[in-house]
Amino acid sequence: MIDSSCLLPALVFLTLMSGLHARIDVYRAFVRGAREGLMTLLEMTPYLCAVLTATALLRGTGVMDAMQDALAPLLAALGVPAEAAGVVLLRPLSGSAALAAVRDVIEISGADSRAARFACIISGASETIFFTGSLYLGAAGVRSAGCALPAALLAYAACVAAAGFLISP
Amino acid sequence: MNAVFCTMLLAGVAAAAAQGDLSAAQDALLSGGTEAVAFFMSMAGAYAFFGGLLGVLRESGVTQALAGAMRRPLLQLFRFAPGEEQALDDICVNLAADMLGMGGAATPAGLSAMRKMAAAGKMNGCASDAMLLFLTLNMCSVQLLPTTMIAIRAQAGAKNPADIVLPTLLATGVQTLTGIALCKIFAVRNKAHD
Repeated sequence: MIDSSCLLPALVFLTLMSGLHARIDVYRAFVRGAREGLMTLLEMTPYLCAVLTATALLRGTGVMDAMQDALAPLLAALGVPAEAAGVVLLRPLSGSAALAAVRDVIEISGADSRAARFACIISGASETIFFTGSLYLGAAGVRSAGCALPAALLAYAACVAAAGFLISP
Repeated sequence: MNAVFCTMLLAGVAAAAAQGDLSAAQDALLSGGTEAVAFFMSMAGAYAFFGGLLGVLRESGVTQALAGAMRRPLLQLFRFAPGEEQALDDICVNLAADMLGMGGAATPAGLSAMRKMAAAGKMNGCASDAMLLFLTLNMCSVQLLPTTMIAIRAQAGAKNPADIVLPTLLATGVQTLTGIALCKIFAVRNKAHD
């Protein structure tokens, strides 16, 4: 097994090599990219504010606990830790909502808990299915997603089951 | 998202009112915005760092090289209807950028590919097989390095923030292959019905 803590240094090294090989101004390229990364995060923050407000309200009033209890048997069958149920439900709807939910799981269960690892794997491995679908169909002027939506949702279920299997103790 | 957001707020306020304890709701409502801004501050460094790396990769032409390498396999995967193959370049750039986690570069290319395929077909409002497959690929993730998740774990003090990379790749692989397979199966079944 390769030690995954060498992943980032290796990525930096390879990136640097590709930049030097292409003879670009690596420093400038990095700064431009960093600015873009910050802008992405800044654009996301108002959405996060909306979603975190709503989830804090649901948690504070006990609605979240009731929902998790209701869904627990179904998700347990898929191998999903109960604490991460919110992430599974929100990920296909909104990237920022799922990110907020992941953050909650980490805060409540700890960064190295099974639930937090599961939440991170699910979020990193899947897409905002509904948003992407409406965006792409809108661009093409097509109304029905046809078989693409059921295919993508079933594939997402397979991804959730795979992640549940991968973190099983 | 509008319906989801409104439902969440309504359910929360209704639950608080039913329990007769509105102070819990008040505290929760005021904490959300603060948390969002705190999140921005804690993640800004990691976003800037990964953005910088991706910027170097993009300007070194890595995206273009990856897109070029994917041309042949993608031509095999998509059974283009006549005229649709002119979207292939956009499809390559879209998927290459998505794999490297450059959503900003992937989306314009993806939308352009959809428009070109729609213009090529004469199917008044219906999507072709190639369009549906491309859409499915974009609804499944193809990202190779989950940078945001590594960053969020590093910030939370995980022992080894990058140790989710391999399971994430496996889960992505399962998802994308399932999506492609289902799309192909559905397409064959539709043909059989016609």
